Amino acid sequence: MALLVLPIVLALLSFLIPQKLVRYFGLAGALSSLVVALGHLSYFNPERYVSIFDPNKLFPLGLSFKMGYDGLSLTMVLLVNAIVTIILLANFAKELAENKTFTALVFLMQFGLLGVFLAQDGLLFYGFWEITLIPIFFILYWFGQQNNNSVLLKFFIYTLLGSLGMLLSFIVLGTNVQSFAYNDLAVAGSFMASKMACWVACGFLLAFAIKIPLFPFHTWQPNTYTTAPMAGTMLLSALMLKMALFGMIKWMIPITYNGFSEIKWLIITLGSIGIVYGAIIAIKQKDIKTLFAYASISHVGLIAAGIVLFTQTSLESAVIQIINHSIVAVGLFFAADIIESRTGTRNIYELGGIAKLAPRFAFWFALMTFVSVSVPFTAGFIGEFLLIKELFMAHWVTGLFASTTLVFGAVYMLRAYQVSMFGTPKMTSFEDLKWNEILVFASLTVAAILIGISPACIMNFVKPSIEHINELMVGSLNFIK
Amino acid sequence: MDALIVIFITGLVGLFVGMMKKPVLTLSITITGLVTAFILTLYARSYESIFSKYNGLSTSPLTDAFSLLVIGLTILIVLGGFNYFKKDKEHTSDYYGLMLFSLCGALIMIAFNNFFMFFLGLEIMSIPIYVLVGIKKSNVLSSEASIKYFFTGSFATGVLLFGIALVYGATGTFDLLTINSMRGIAEPSPMFHIGVLFILAAFLFKVGSVPFHFWSPDVYQGSPDAIMSYMSTVVKVSALCAFVTLFSNVFMDSKHVYLIILEVFIAISFIFGYVSALKQSNLKRMLAYSGISNTGLAMLTILNGDFGSLWFFLLSYTAATICIMTLSQAMDKIDSEDISNWKGIGYKNPIIGVVIIISFLSLSGIPPLTGFFGKFLILSNSFQNHLWLVIIGLISSVIGAFLYLRFIVLSMAKDSNAEKICLSPLHFVIIGLSTIVLLFGWSILLF
Repeated sequence: MALLVLPIVLALLSFLIPQKLVRYFGLAGALSSLVVALGHLSYFNPERYVSIFDPNKLFPLGLSFKMGYDGLSLTMVLLVNAIVTIILLANFAKELAENKTFTALVFLMQFGLLGVFLAQDGLLFYGFWEITLIPIFFILYWFGQQNNNSVLLKFFIYTLLGSLGMLLSFIVLGTNVQSFAYNDLAVAGSFMASKMACWVACGFLLAFAIKIPLFPFHTWQPNTYTTAPMAGTMLLSALMLKMALFGMIKWMIPITYNGFSEIKWLIITLGSIGIVYGAIIAIKQKDIKTLFAYASISHVGLIAAGIVLFTQTSLESAVIQIINHSIVAVGLFFAADIIESRTGTRNIYELGGIAKLAPRFAFWFALMTFVSVSVPFTAGFIGEFLLIKELFMAHWVTGLFASTTLVFGAVYMLRAYQVSMFGTPKMTSFEDLKWNEILVFASLTVAAILIGISPACIMNFVKPSIEHINELMVGSLNFIK
Repeated sequence: MDALIVIFITGLVGLFVGMMKKPVLTLSITITGLVTAFILTLYARSYESIFSKYNGLSTSPLTDAFSLLVIGLTILIVLGGFNYFKKDKEHTSDYYGLMLFSLCGALIMIAFNNFFMFFLGLEIMSIPIYVLVGIKKSNVLSSEASIKYFFTGSFATGVLLFGIALVYGATGTFDLLTINSMRGIAEPSPMFHIGVLFILAAFLFKVGSVPFHFWSPDVYQGSPDAIMSYMSTVVKVSALCAFVTLFSNVFMDSKHVYLIILEVFIAISFIFGYVSALKQSNLKRMLAYSGISNTGLAMLTILNGDFGSLWFFLLSYTAATICIMTLSQAMDKIDSEDISNWKGIGYKNPIIGVVIIISFLSLSGIPPLTGFFGKFLILSNSFQNHLWLVIIGLISSVIGAFLYLRFIVLSMAKDSNAEKICLSPLHFVIIGLSTIVLLFGWSILLF
């Protein structure tokens, strides 16, 4: 339980800490939560489900309050705590790090995210899902670009609309069995007629497609990413959209499997369109942050399409790709922010020659670029390769579309790198990286390379829980026969 | 029943004490009476009342819960309005006396047993409010509101009486239990159906739902803050409670007649309220219009007689309204009615900011606040029979969330020119209590 409670305690404490110490407090707090998560990891057996809170009775409304983790959830929990630490580290030298409200909001966000990944109860999952909206909204509002009200309202209302679809699905499922516990919902879903289950799946899809975002629901994303402060963009892209991908793996597909097959190809198509669409738009972007935002649409389209196939390999590689995308998103948006804060512009045509002025930055940015275009021996290579392979096996057309991501990714990333870093310097000075910035890049790169060299450790880690989800689904199919 | 009598006597005593022109004394007497009534209602099941045999009212744990809600709300409103009422020393006791008499009517509306008591309760509740709305005599808006409310209200009463007369003509009795026992035995005469429709119209007026909602923004705007919060909480709670009592039970026989009408009006209320509220620049008008949508949601419980969800939803709705209106009263230096004056208030005063965030997020139904569970209960209980209404309700709540969020954004803007507001201890207590309800009220559900 300490895992979940710690961030909210930290959030409250950060109001009591003297102004000067807030940045150290933030970093130490995030590290401590990471240590707690690692402690959970140290005596975790991937075969087992670990309950961290279970009152063992059903409350009125069908609330069961069950919380716990299996290999998949624990991976996400570790990801959240690690990325939050890195975000606070990346933010360390900024003025923002001294802000109490900001630190508190980041911890509140962490609390909500952990809750989403730990919840074993539908209503709890929904509750935490919505809780995450509030801190991110205020991070964006107070610390983002000024006069971004309309962008923010669009973001909030859009995501709220989506999650109401999910709420309706949960209501339909939960009232059938008078319980919202995960296993009960799975049973309710397995008894559902396929047409009804399809509608329920559509409700979930609305929430997840907007958050991921899938192709026609992505319109909120580039503007929101661009106007957000660095930490906000990182939280949104590295962690918040992972809630939706996780929700698809854990909640949407197993529970609504009866009706899900009818919209399976819809999602694969939308994902494939997103891969190509995001990449093509990214190629034409001048604004480096918008470019990365569209690149993100392209990357997550591939993950979503892969998850929907729902084979053992596709899910395992999707998890690797989820982690990889978090690494890439944090690294790239960090680089974008370094460029913006030191030159005052995000337009890549106004940049140039930074490599001469700041060789260390050029080196680490290049490494991040390579991770992003998934060269071999980085996490992205394994993840994308396996996902594309699975998509090819499903249908060669989707495989073809998906594999364009490798080409397009190289085009837009290398172009962005080349135009901004090489050529004649267009500015007089560019301060090179400080220690905390090097630490951020180094830890991200090391993580990407470690996963790239030995992806099996993560795949084996999540394998039993994915097998369990598959069993749950097969079981539900047997129910019908 | 005991609570009713205590409140009535307190009102009388308060009026006489008012001659001494000591507001604090009047306040303490009023609060003492209300708290006594609250405790009496709380323990109503555990002692033998001397009035237990009264035939006009029937109490049950359910009506007790509603009575507790309205008495509790009145306590908060009486306390919150004190700073405003005491300025007008001549009339402090008038405010309190009238409010207490109106509360008597509200309590009768909750527990009535026959149409006679129902009509009595409705009138006892309404007439003091006609006066209270117009109590700022020199203010044009206030007088307009009073006249408007009085004329339309009396007309609604006439319609209601006509409806009751028709139902009486069809059944030959005023007693709800007797009408209940006749249910399903024979097809009721058309007179009964027409009577029910008349009563429905009067109810739609009283709760301020589409299509009889036009009075509410004007009346809310014209009345003092405390009176407005009284009307949008206590009056709404008791009218909705009576609404559900009659229509989910007694009038079941004509359900096929009124069901479609009610459904359509609920659906229109959902959308109409929030959409009209989007264009308002006056806080009270905004709350009035968004109140129409919230009333629509509460009216969903009529369709399946779901008192529990109704109570819980009203708890969250009224707590949020009290919070906002108390904040508005606390801002006495600036004109709190103009929404643009709220710019930056929440950022400058962190406590007020947190309260604004919590109350508006609760109104928009964001978990884990109480408002979410209120909406969730109502929607999950009615989705099986009224799926389309539930979907329209969800869509409308997105519009509502936009409306409320825009207000949060405005009041949280970084604006160094914003007024610094110090809350008086009274206001602090009220806001604290209602914020606790909004934050942790859902834990009631766990027991």
